Amino acid sequence: MLETQQAFLKQINENKGIIHKVSKMYMDNAVDQEDLFQEIVMQLWKAFPSFKSTSKFSTWMYRVALNTAIIFFKKDNRKIDKAPLNEQIEIADINDSHEKEEKLTYLYKAVQELNQIEKALIFLFLENQSHREIAQNLGITEVNARVKLNRTKEKLQQIIKKNGYEF
Amino acid sequence: MAMNFDQLKNDWSNNEVVSTEVSESMLKIKDARTPIDQIRKKMKHEFLWQIISLLVMALAPKILGFSSNLSSTYFLFFSIVCGFTAYYFFKFYTFYKHSYDLSLDSRKNLLWFYYEMKINIELYKALTYIVSFIYLSFGAIALFITRGNILVKLLEKIPLTYILLNAAITVLIIGLITESWAKYSYGKHLKRLKVIIESIDEE
Repeated sequence: MLETQQAFLKQINENKGIIHKVSKMYMDNAVDQEDLFQEIVMQLWKAFPSFKSTSKFSTWMYRVALNTAIIFFKKDNRKIDKAPLNEQIEIADINDSHEKEEKLTYLYKAVQELNQIEKALIFLFLENQSHREIAQNLGITEVNARVKLNRTKEKLQQIIKKNGYEF
Repeated sequence: MAMNFDQLKNDWSNNEVVSTEVSESMLKIKDARTPIDQIRKKMKHEFLWQIISLLVMALAPKILGFSSNLSSTYFLFFSIVCGFTAYYFFKFYTFYKHSYDLSLDSRKNLLWFYYEMKINIELYKALTYIVSFIYLSFGAIALFITRGNILVKLLEKIPLTYILLNAAITVLIIGLITESWAKYSYGKHLKRLKVIIESIDEE
């Protein structure tokens, strides 16, 4: 048992960036992000016995992490803060001068207005997955994945534009 | 101007994530925050309550001082109740164990859980109806055994329509309580899952 636990923790720590990104994608505040992070870790641990070493650990992890995030909900059903993005980011990242990081901060904020499946599509796309891989992970056809992804990209672009930012 | 998603993808890949080390303490359940977790938690509680109520029911003849005839009849009904409950919990346990495997693709995973959950709720409702009617039947038989004469006299006086009306109202009340309880306990979780399934199936 202890050996399995150590092996699991080793694998998780090597790939924890995936969980961190999924958490930030699905939750809009630090407390919920931390809760989702822990929930994913816990679900991965519970599902670990079903992991077959014939597949890649990270591939299996993407699935479990996304499947957990898709059904995870906020504790008190707080609404998404719809205040203009530029105001919030000026306050939150007053010292953040890096354009790239600012861009990602805007992205994380904008994706909060997408639904659970749209978030998954954008996440897998940003993780450099092909249409085929996205389709396999979500359980839809490749054509449908392509259509849905394009639609979600447009929607995301509109949200970012609406919030007064462009990239 | 169109958004440059390729550039965004590069920025995303090059963004170094600072994340805390995953430790052993993180492998323990704290608060249930997914519909699956909440349903598991609720079902686990109900399982415990069913066990406790079965134990209490097993002691009923002693507590209520049943005669040996009545006790034998009672245990016949009680064993049928135990049989149905055991079947339900076997089904639930299989579902509970399987529900930790989230490694299917998202659609399959959501559909599997949604329909398994629906089946379990229907089984749960069926179990409640069956157990209620078994106990009601026992109640009627117990009345015949213990108060046979009075009951026969009473039935002669009461019109058949009145008896049927009472039976219908009893069935209605049992149905109403069962349906409301199932809806209150599991309805919102199923609704939440259905919304996600619809968005994944949307063309």
